[in-house]
Amino acid sequence: MGKIILETKELTFAYPDGTKALQGVSVQIKAGKTTAILGNNGAGKSTLFLNLKGMLKPHGGEIFFQGEPVAYQKGEAKALWRAVGLVFQDPDNQLFSASVFQDVSFGPMNLNLSQDEVKNRVEDALQRTGISHLRNKPTHSLSYGQKKRVALAGVLAMEPKLLILDEPTAGLDPAGIEEIMGLIQEMQQKSGISVMISTHDIDLVPLYCDEVYVLNQGRIALSGPPREVFTQGQVLQELHLRLPWIAQLMEVLSKEDQFHFDAPGVTVSQARETINRWRAENK
Amino acid sequence: MLNLDQYAYLSNLSKQDSLEKLIFSLLTLIVCIWANEPVISIIIMLIMGGITVFRGGTSLKVFLKLLSIPSAFLLISVIAIGIDVTKNPEALWGPMRVLNSYIGLSVVGLPVAVNLFFKALGAVSCLYYLILSTPIVDLLSALESLGVPSLLREMMGLIYRFIFVFIETAQEMHLAQRARLGYTTLRGSYRSLGTLISNLLVQALRKSEALYTALEARGYQGELRVLEDAEDRITKGYLGIIGTNLGLVFITLGIRAMGRG
Repeated sequence: MGKIILETKELTFAYPDGTKALQGVSVQIKAGKTTAILGNNGAGKSTLFLNLKGMLKPHGGEIFFQGEPVAYQKGEAKALWRAVGLVFQDPDNQLFSASVFQDVSFGPMNLNLSQDEVKNRVEDALQRTGISHLRNKPTHSLSYGQKKRVALAGVLAMEPKLLILDEPTAGLDPAGIEEIMGLIQEMQQKSGISVMISTHDIDLVPLYCDEVYVLNQGRIALSGPPREVFTQGQVLQELHLRLPWIAQLMEVLSKEDQFHFDAPGVTVSQARETINRWRAENK
Repeated sequence: MLNLDQYAYLSNLSKQDSLEKLIFSLLTLIVCIWANEPVISIIIMLIMGGITVFRGGTSLKVFLKLLSIPSAFLLISVIAIGIDVTKNPEALWGPMRVLNSYIGLSVVGLPVAVNLFFKALGAVSCLYYLILSTPIVDLLSALESLGVPSLLREMMGLIYRFIFVFIETAQEMHLAQRARLGYTTLRGSYRSLGTLISNLLVQALRKSEALYTALEARGYQGELRVLEDAEDRITKGYLGIIGTNLGLVFITLGIRAMGRG
């Protein structure tokens, strides 16, 4: 088992209007891995993220960062502020400056680093997200996908240990989705950063994620590696989610067409492997 | 007109030190107003237009088109000052009898009107030079070196940034309303416009809340501290700026001396 960077135990949170957003959420986020949070709208994903970022203080339960319980002062957890980076869904809500360079520099400037260090980090973040050529463009002239990258760069420049992305693929075209997910994957392989994403794009999860948590009405309904979680089609359907298409195909093949797979697989390559193995065995 | 900033980014002058441009523009503006001479105003228009077009590479068409906007307003007010109706034909050039009074170009008013017209255009051309050569972001950093308080600069920057979001949202709402025939009748138009405006307000509030949360997530502590992208700026020094304006001042004094002598 890998090291755990962030862990919550029985986290509860309710908004002033009485909405119980989190009702005992326990998650373990593995270091250097990508964890996906699935769940329909209003399941509590964004609330969970704000709790993990230390911007909301949980009403019950505890958060452990690298094994240490997190301390709160005036309702904020400073340890989490620095260690966790949160990229919001709508980049227009995050980008405040008219200049790309200045916007990316905002986070590191708030870490009270030297100007040279800030400059290095901004350059590095721009390069890693592939937007160095946009540095002097006005923010409003960028495309939606470019804005998403600037928003990501703005958080990366703070060099968080855990990067949380709230629906990084929402509103992007297929090429844009592949680009941004590829970018995150590549970054992870290079720097070993831990990543957590929320998404409605279920087919994406087996491709890019190592762990899955399914959040439903403020509770964790399912968890595990994609290959395990995506065998439970019935449960997912009750949670208003579905299997990835490949997993669905494998399920139908084994249920309706008398194929017998021991490990059905949830991605194209896994399914291909499984079917080829089945063919070799049944020749 | 929102694309004015785009011209600034495209201008060859955008790489020049923004403080120099700001000071050149403001100093010349002050000289233009102080001089109060049509000749000086025209010279300033030519200088500003010349630099913007020949050095900056902005098309002459754009510059003239922009100048034509205030010109239209100016012409209307100039007519009011320059044309007079009086009973004394001596006070008019080319008096025309209308009933028992005269209408014509006012002997006193016309020079004032002409002077006013060119003075205003000269002053506006100073500002156009600045706007067409300096992106807002650079302008804000120039204002910083002039000691403008950060609160003002931050507000200018935020307003500039969110004007685009605001307009986009309004356009989308308007389109959605039109798609549902919201503007086919006069009554409907008023109602649709009303809901659009009130909705925009709510949206703006929501956006500002979301922005605040996002800023906090990046460690916002009450001040929007950012790093300037320290590119190599072309500095020309202040010699040319001061020289040009001293020249203008001397010409003005010369014209005045001639007028007296």
